[in-house]
Amino acid sequence: MEDISLQSRIDVLSEEQVMIQDSAVAFIAQDEELKKVRENRFKQPGYDAQTWAEMAEAGWLGFLVPEDYEGIGLAFSDISLVLIQLGKGLVPAPFSTTAVLAARTLVKSDNEAFKKARLPALISGEWKPAIAWQETRASLDVKAEKVTCADGKLNGQKLFVPDAGGADAFIISAAEAKGTALYAIEKDASGLSIEYAQRVDGGFYGTLTFNNVDAGEQVASTAVAEHALGGALDEARVAASAELLGVMTRALEITVDYLTQRVQFDKPIGSFQALQHNAVDLFVLSEISRSVLLQTTALFDSEASDQERAIAASQLKARCGDAALKITKDAIQLHGGIGYTDECNIGLYLKKAMYLSSLWGNASAHRSRYADLVL
Amino acid sequence: MTDYNAMADDDFRKMLNDWLVENYPSELRFPAERMHWDQCGDWYMTLAKKGWLAPGWPVEHGGMGLDANKLLILMEEFESYGVGRTPDQGMTMIGPLLIQYGTDEQRAHYLPKILNGENIWCQGYSEPGAGSDLASLRTAAVRDGDDYIVNGHKIWTTLAMDANMIFTLVRTNKEGKKQQGITFLLIPLDSPGITVRGIDNLGMHDEFAEVFFDDVRVPVANVVGKENDGWTIAKALLGHERIFIGSPKMASLAMNRLKALAESANMFNDPLFVERYTVLKLEIEDLAAAYRRFVEVLKRGGKIGAEVSMLKIWNTETQQRITDLMLDVAGENCGVSDAIPAGDTAVSAPGEFIGARPTTIYGGSNQIQRNILAKAVLKLPS
Repeated sequence: MEDISLQSRIDVLSEEQVMIQDSAVAFIAQDEELKKVRENRFKQPGYDAQTWAEMAEAGWLGFLVPEDYEGIGLAFSDISLVLIQLGKGLVPAPFSTTAVLAARTLVKSDNEAFKKARLPALISGEWKPAIAWQETRASLDVKAEKVTCADGKLNGQKLFVPDAGGADAFIISAAEAKGTALYAIEKDASGLSIEYAQRVDGGFYGTLTFNNVDAGEQVASTAVAEHALGGALDEARVAASAELLGVMTRALEITVDYLTQRVQFDKPIGSFQALQHNAVDLFVLSEISRSVLLQTTALFDSEASDQERAIAASQLKARCGDAALKITKDAIQLHGGIGYTDECNIGLYLKKAMYLSSLWGNASAHRSRYADLVL
Repeated sequence: MTDYNAMADDDFRKMLNDWLVENYPSELRFPAERMHWDQCGDWYMTLAKKGWLAPGWPVEHGGMGLDANKLLILMEEFESYGVGRTPDQGMTMIGPLLIQYGTDEQRAHYLPKILNGENIWCQGYSEPGAGSDLASLRTAAVRDGDDYIVNGHKIWTTLAMDANMIFTLVRTNKEGKKQQGITFLLIPLDSPGITVRGIDNLGMHDEFAEVFFDDVRVPVANVVGKENDGWTIAKALLGHERIFIGSPKMASLAMNRLKALAESANMFNDPLFVERYTVLKLEIEDLAAAYRRFVEVLKRGGKIGAEVSMLKIWNTETQQRITDLMLDVAGENCGVSDAIPAGDTAVSAPGEFIGARPTTIYGGSNQIQRNILAKAVLKLPS
């Protein structure tokens, strides 16, 4: 399928970036038909364990972990090239949730012994932690309130934990007397119950209920926990936005290809001006999104302040969330009846966009945070 | 002669800004409409004397010889200081075109006259029957010895009443493909048989005009390039300047006015307004990211193609949506022509709204831009 993005026309990649991108392109080419996506959806854990193992083997899970913890320590402008491809291929693996959110939360935490022991295990794929932080629907607040830690026991409930089914352990934010701290518990911890909700894209969210669960090891103290979690979440939002860019880009490529092939009234329907203009508007939206992603990853690779990162992450997530939904919605319309069938792959892109655009705050939530921080 | 390109960017910026503060008439900052010669002629001559009239021209032709990066800085500084446009078609259009396609004689004759203010140029492309479909133009030039006899009618000729020269596309061949019978012809506006009539726009300002040609005699020497080669030449002119149509500055200014208006009406207490305002603010911020991405291409010495149309579409449609919201905030003042006080300034919501109408029409309507992107970038079939 032809690359219609402006990347090859106007952007310049370093040699290293070309290598990284090429390896990701080759990775997703293994499942061009999206068979693995279909095989793994709607059944636990909601992703492909083999794919995850291959990513670990390739060293990808350590992309955002510093060398001190046996990672590679790449820049956001580099790994976004991989994430775009993961989005294009709808790759069924919890990369943004584990290799970004969980890994980065740990990196920013202050239990050095825990980090030294566990980050290498995360990178090798032996250990899959999931972060459980959210307590209220549509909230971006990382301060824990409803889940408490008192006398070494956790109580309360965490919502919307992505890919909880495949996780070996959970890192939980909990309210203590002095504020929010992070704890790690095993999945089989006594007093922990997990309910799963099937997602439209075929994965699962977990709802975690804690009933006097032994708090286990403290990963981040109250001195750093909110900062670690908040910072890692903003980085994860950048990652999800890069994936969304991949989702919208491929959905548009597929659609433009369809407009070129599909014949009605004895002509390819892509020759009709109404459809051309619709396709162009989607293209413009995707390139505006790509421009914001480029700007944001550059900012995340710089010495920017937490506040600047938060503003940029919200700007980006608002744009990519809305753009991906708009593009995949219109892609269905431009496909006509076949687009509304499950057998046509374009619907898989819409559903991935629905999941990722709402994960860690939808466009409205991020515009609202942006307004609070900027206006 | 200063080598501006060798200056540090910040020094160059400061030099420009200092000079503008010293020399640009404060009453002309951020003009609401295109200025006529009687308003901005002195400023034109000030620029001319300084040698800054033609920033993008090579030094040997009397320009500043700026590279793409420095040219962008100059545009940014002029824009942010609120410097209004002069009748600048000589500098931006015909000058570069003559430098590229003119003869030595034409360059020697016309370029100095642009730089000393003797010749003010306007552009004669569009006709009543040839707007988006420009190649169907019918203003005809028929050969008569060493002259052409020109008959026809040009329209949307910006500031023709201030100009004494017009560069035109005229039909010299009615056979074959319509693009192939067009010639690029330079015509003095004081030639016998020419009538210029101003047209009031919706802002009640005579910014453009129509120009009638009735048996106008023009020397064959006034052809640029070859006869019937005008279409190629006119199209080739679309160079660096196209990036400027994507500059987020205009939309940012409109946003500032919206903000002043909304603050004076206490609108920022209204969550619905804040949501609408934030959407628009992000449209501009995101455009700025795209604009900078394109600017990087020019700074690297790269070329920008048809894809730059996306900036025009986004920019102009965002501006219009900003002025939609201004009208909404203005309430009944939507129907009042005069500016209303807003903080330490005054804003005319209807003026902004009307002023935003042509942005999606000029320079190739946004529908035409979409046609271009569909063909040139998405490669959709005809």
